[in-house]
Amino acid sequence: MASHEEITASLLAFQEGYNKNERLKIMNRDWDRVVLVQASDIPSQHTLELRNGELSVREGAPPRADLTVISDSETLADLFYGDITPTEPYMNGTLKIIGSEDDIVRLDFISLMIWGE
Amino acid sequence: MKRVVSVSLGSSRRDHRVEVELLGERFEISRRGTDGDFDRAIQLLKELDGKVDAIGLGGIDVYLYAGKTRYVVRDGKKLMDAVQRTPVVDGSGLKNTLERETVYYLREHTDLLPPGTRVLMVSAVDRFGMAEAFARLGCHLTFGDLIFAAGIPYPIHTVQELEELAARLLPEMTKLPFHMLYPTGKKQETQDEEKVKKFGHYYREAQVIAGDYHLVRRYMPQLDGQTIITNTTTADDVAFLREKGAGCLVTTTPEFQGRSFGTNVMEAVLVALLQKPREEITPQDYLDLLRRLDFKPRVVYLR
Repeated sequence: MASHEEITASLLAFQEGYNKNERLKIMNRDWDRVVLVQASDIPSQHTLELRNGELSVREGAPPRADLTVISDSETLADLFYGDITPTEPYMNGTLKIIGSEDDIVRLDFISLMIWGE
Repeated sequence: MKRVVSVSLGSSRRDHRVEVELLGERFEISRRGTDGDFDRAIQLLKELDGKVDAIGLGGIDVYLYAGKTRYVVRDGKKLMDAVQRTPVVDGSGLKNTLERETVYYLREHTDLLPPGTRVLMVSAVDRFGMAEAFARLGCHLTFGDLIFAAGIPYPIHTVQELEELAARLLPEMTKLPFHMLYPTGKKQETQDEEKVKKFGHYYREAQVIAGDYHLVRRYMPQLDGQTIITNTTTADDVAFLREKGAGCLVTTTPEFQGRSFGTNVMEAVLVALLQKPREEITPQDYLDLLRRLDFKPRVVYLR
């Protein structure tokens, strides 16, 4: 089990990876979204916000989310550190993403662009 | 008589059956759509296994190529693995041969592809051979893989960047359910109006629009005489393209009784003719056979 602080640290690593990738920022200029990241086994909520291609992270839940990412704390930390890809846990049900199918593909895409092969 | 059947995840409304003679052999060629129903496709494949001469898989890719790397689409492979005895193909072998040849043929025999032609390929990872051929002939290319499959307004302009992004994304993206990346079943009969509005300018800026027909159709705005290079078109599709203002339709696969079949069907026909184990067939075998059959692209002027 990962702690709330470990999830925070993984999300900050994700943010750093994103912000270093200029091409990714260009690709997401049109995609303003609020993402709630919620652990299922510990009380831990974070907000990822994409606005004009920039990604920000903060602790706590947003008033309204376009996408909700739910998994156990360990999977969330592994995922945002890039130790695992979202595809496997998404396919086996460990990772639940609530939102439109287009947005899910796009979130997967961002993760692969940061951590992919 | 040899029997070749294409089992497609696409709409059953496009089903078709013809009898033709090729190199002295009679063929019954048919297509059976399963309306996006994966389980029905598996069941049908199992029923046909061992009873027909070759099977094509339609409405889904099994193999995607970028450069020398081959990516396996998980859902496509599941379908392929349902067939144990009959040779089964997805059209990727033919895409890598026939569709390259189509591009060279158009340069040599028509005025549709002069150097510098602005070409939009709605998706290129499923037609890498064609993408390379356009690039080799000096066309100005826009690959819409990210635009149309993922809704990301990022046009890719070089084969090198396409390969680089494919290497990063495809090993994982190919594990997703296929319907998340490609329109299946009923989605093939409708347009995505939001993307038509948002991304239609890529079509209008191009002189030639190439790629999978369902993708071409799904995002097509009103056109102004553009040439469409695709395959698998029905009479209704031709009427649709004419209504949208396309100037010319080129289909890479030959027409049988008013219908151009998918590359998977044609590859299955070639496999049935070659009578060699699937794994021993080379691109040269396909090219030699295509020449003997005198297959040429079909060019239809629409206005």
